[in-house]
Amino acid sequence: MSIEDQHGEAGERTQQTHIQLPAPTFFPIVFAFGVTLLFAGLLTFWLVSFIGFLVFFVGALGWWRNVIPHEDHELVSIEPEHRPAPVMVETRSVVRLRAGEQAHRMRIPIEVHPYTAGIVGGLAGGAAMAALACLYGLVAEHSIWYPVNLLAGVVIPGLGHATTEQLRQFMAGPFIAALIGHIGISILVGVVYAAILPMFPKYAPLWAGVLMPLFWSGLTYPVLDIINPALNRRISWPWFVICQLAFGLVGGFFVARSTHIKTLQSLPMAERAALHYPTEQTSTTKDVH
Amino acid sequence: MASIDYPLERPKVGTKDWGFAEHMYDWVATVDHKKLGIMYIVSALLFLVIAGIMALVIRTQLALPNGHVVAPDTYNRLFTMHGTTMVFLLGMPLVAGFSNYLVPLMIGARDMAFPRLNAFGFWIFLFGGFLLYFSYLGGSGLYGAGSAPDVGWFAYAPLTEKPFSLGHSTDYWALGIIVSGIGTIASAINVIATTFSLRCPGMTLSRMPMFVWVMLIDSWLILVAFPPLTAAQIMLLLDRYLGANFFYTQRGGSAVLWQHLFWIFGHPEVYILIFPAFAILSEVIPIFSRKPIFGRPAMVGAVVAIGFISLGVWAHHMFAVGMTSYANSFFAASTMLVGIPTGIKIFNWTATMYGGKVNLKTPMLFCCGFLLQFLIAGLTGIMLAIAPFDWQLHDSYFVVGHFHFTLAEGLVFGIFAGLYYWFPKITGRMYNEKLGKWHFWLFVIGVNLTFIPMHFAGILGMPRRIYTYQAGRGWEFWQFSATIGAYIQAIAVAIYVWNVVHSAIKGEPAGDDPWDGWTLEWATTSPPPEYNFEKLPVVRSSRPLWDLKHPHDPDWKYE
Amino acid sequence: MADALDLTADALTLEREWKTPDRGTVGIIFLIITESVLFLTFVAVYLVYIGASVTGPYPKDVLETPILATVCLLSSSLTIVAAEWALERNRIGMFRIWWLVTIVLGLYFLFDTGMEWKKLIYVDHLTISTNLFGTTFYSLVGLHASHVTVGMIFLLLVIGVNLLGFPIETQKRRVKFLSWYWHFVDAVWVIVFTVVYIISTR
Repeated sequence: MSIEDQHGEAGERTQQTHIQLPAPTFFPIVFAFGVTLLFAGLLTFWLVSFIGFLVFFVGALGWWRNVIPHEDHELVSIEPEHRPAPVMVETRSVVRLRAGEQAHRMRIPIEVHPYTAGIVGGLAGGAAMAALACLYGLVAEHSIWYPVNLLAGVVIPGLGHATTEQLRQFMAGPFIAALIGHIGISILVGVVYAAILPMFPKYAPLWAGVLMPLFWSGLTYPVLDIINPALNRRISWPWFVICQLAFGLVGGFFVARSTHIKTLQSLPMAERAALHYPTEQTSTTKDVH
Repeated sequence: MASIDYPLERPKVGTKDWGFAEHMYDWVATVDHKKLGIMYIVSALLFLVIAGIMALVIRTQLALPNGHVVAPDTYNRLFTMHGTTMVFLLGMPLVAGFSNYLVPLMIGARDMAFPRLNAFGFWIFLFGGFLLYFSYLGGSGLYGAGSAPDVGWFAYAPLTEKPFSLGHSTDYWALGIIVSGIGTIASAINVIATTFSLRCPGMTLSRMPMFVWVMLIDSWLILVAFPPLTAAQIMLLLDRYLGANFFYTQRGGSAVLWQHLFWIFGHPEVYILIFPAFAILSEVIPIFSRKPIFGRPAMVGAVVAIGFISLGVWAHHMFAVGMTSYANSFFAASTMLVGIPTGIKIFNWTATMYGGKVNLKTPMLFCCGFLLQFLIAGLTGIMLAIAPFDWQLHDSYFVVGHFHFTLAEGLVFGIFAGLYYWFPKITGRMYNEKLGKWHFWLFVIGVNLTFIPMHFAGILGMPRRIYTYQAGRGWEFWQFSATIGAYIQAIAVAIYVWNVVHSAIKGEPAGDDPWDGWTLEWATTSPPPEYNFEKLPVVRSSRPLWDLKHPHDPDWKYE
Repeated sequence: MADALDLTADALTLEREWKTPDRGTVGIIFLIITESVLFLTFVAVYLVYIGASVTGPYPKDVLETPILATVCLLSSSLTIVAAEWALERNRIGMFRIWWLVTIVLGLYFLFDTGMEWKKLIYVDHLTISTNLFGTTFYSLVGLHASHVTVGMIFLLLVIGVNLLGFPIETQKRRVKFLSWYWHFVDAVWVIVFTVVYIISTR
């Protein structure tokens, strides 16, 4: 028999008259019945198991003879009156949508800022914020260490009991704690900016520079007593908001001016997983009537 | 013994002179995957009716406070046999039946990889079911009055130990399930071997229909989940027959070990049960939305993820046992984790419908019903995954409501969708659409009327498995409406049975491809000939029939 | 692919180049996987119950490490490979010799297990119901021994029909699967041996 007679398109007809299939056999049912009786004997009477073993043996022997040396086959004749109807070619046309075409929903953002921009922006914003805070310390309390110590109150609860005089002094531990915390959080916020700024509608600088700091200040206001009681007692809210705005404007500026990079969002999953090299077109299908 | 022989030349199919004996021989000796698939599905539906009648008796007993419809002992047997039957004799044969009938057709093969093993698997499953039901006659040994197992479908130790469970009823439970489990394992190995080895040329794994993918992972889950149950049941039998001490708490054994072993099986099992519904939805929804499935790789990935994560969530059935808080946290977290791939599937089915030309035929209605009901089931599942929440509601009717939402409303909806969808392929005739819609709407009303009230009864403190209850606890209304719902479900299923029987005999001829399908089973006749395809097909994309129907715009240009 | 594709030629190319794994290979691999899970459960239960026995005898008092039997069973994995190798080259005489050596090694293993059990039951009075050690020991080792027995029945069948004149060289594929099963049984013994005779006797 040639390959042409055995393989073809689905539903295609063959020149053969018969097709080889496994022959019917009742030994599997005999074997199954024997196994069941073997177990049933445990529940009833040993003789049932004994009979079960005999039936099992007959089934096993018959099955063995079905498959060894060669598996039994039978030839089933092809009945011309039971042939499938030919597959009908459909005339309806189909539009294959391509990513990026008009009316094709794109996942946003299509372009993002690099994470490095976020780190740089965070550091810059943090520096601006720190400078303003120190300026406030110098003006209001005549010490640039005053705001530093207050910030350190987040991680050093003992500072909550310190006097204003003590807070004006330079202290190494709180300085290091405040420095690490400030830099760390600044970088984190900067990276968040880089990640979410492209998702905002227009006027990213407004969002990053004004609305986000205000939002952040509002969030801080009710919980500050819990996380930093020392700061809460002494805080000057106008200055706090101004410092936040400084961070937002500077950080947002640095993030926004970075070069944009394209995301993989609009590519098919296989390409994103690096299973395929990028192709020219990607598609989803949809019937159009 | 060698005298046992069988006719080598069978009478030709369809000739008039076929008597009863020829028909019997044709079905009993068959190794044809389609006949075995039909037998699996039909026997599963028979067991559905039996266990459904049990459920009706249970619901009647609970309809009113202080009910005495059945005796307390009988009640215990009823809920045990209802659960055992639904899981092992309805769910498992449906897995085997659907994969048997459809997998070879969908991958373009002539039969399963091991046709004789396939026949053996079906028969030993059926005999295992008979063995379990024989306990009604022989549960206390042949000489006593019959008693079916009464230890719950999960048969917690030490209740199952000899001093607490006399007679053989628990042995029937263990042995019946071990025997039918052999068939399940055989069929799972067969599906895997068929899928890997008998794919037609061009049917790569990435082009394989979603149905086959899901059944492949389902078979994998069967292979790793069933042995722990079999092992636990062997240990239980050793305890009961030979006096071993596995679960004997007085001699150092651990009753909690049984729970671990049972649920190591038991939780993957619920995924094993729900996977056929996932498989069916992944075929039916695209066809009735006229769009290819959304996010195919993610769908496959989600199934594979479930196939592994679900192996590590079992102890969320045991929060009330008193595990360490680390164990509780781990299993709570893993349980929520397994909700993620399930969520992916729900989203992708919905996205497949989005923007498609949705055709609300009965199969599609059942799919939509599945999506909503199963979503609720998943949400209550996440609630129960929170250990403190579970402590409050453990073993209450809330849990009963939850898992009936997953199985009775999830699995059964999916199964009905499949049964309607492939009915024309299996019988060659079309079902009655009007009756199908009646079935669907009555069933939706029935299941929700039954199982939503169970949640409320559970929150109000009603424990599960209780025989009856007193008036004045606020449970009466919920229990009564659950009973009403159960009877509505019964009417719906009766309509279905009538629809099937009537349409199979007198329905309109359906034609080969009534749904304008895309997978290979629609390329052959309805019902398919024994050899499935005259020529084994060659495929080039995941929608081979689409390619043939649209020669100028085939899928393979884009894949 | 080009638009104007010769579908018939393409189908023929596809068919000729199409390779799928052998169904028997897939089947036996997944049979072994599912059996492994069964053993894993029993091994896990054995490990959980180490030291949980309320009364004696305890493993370190009564267990003797079956070195010789272990060597026999593990080397039978090598001899069955030799037999397969001979069968591959149609040297039926060699095949029979190596196959019989495998059988003898396997039988010695079973005999040794029987002797061990006899000693444990009659001398040490350890039965399956004595304590948790007895329960887990007899079930785990017994499960393994039952698998060895099943393998042995098939080994005997092969050599039996061959000696009666059946051309075994027509069944190379099935013989290969039997030998895989035998390797699996041996590998399981390594784990059972480690768990039962080394870990639990400490």
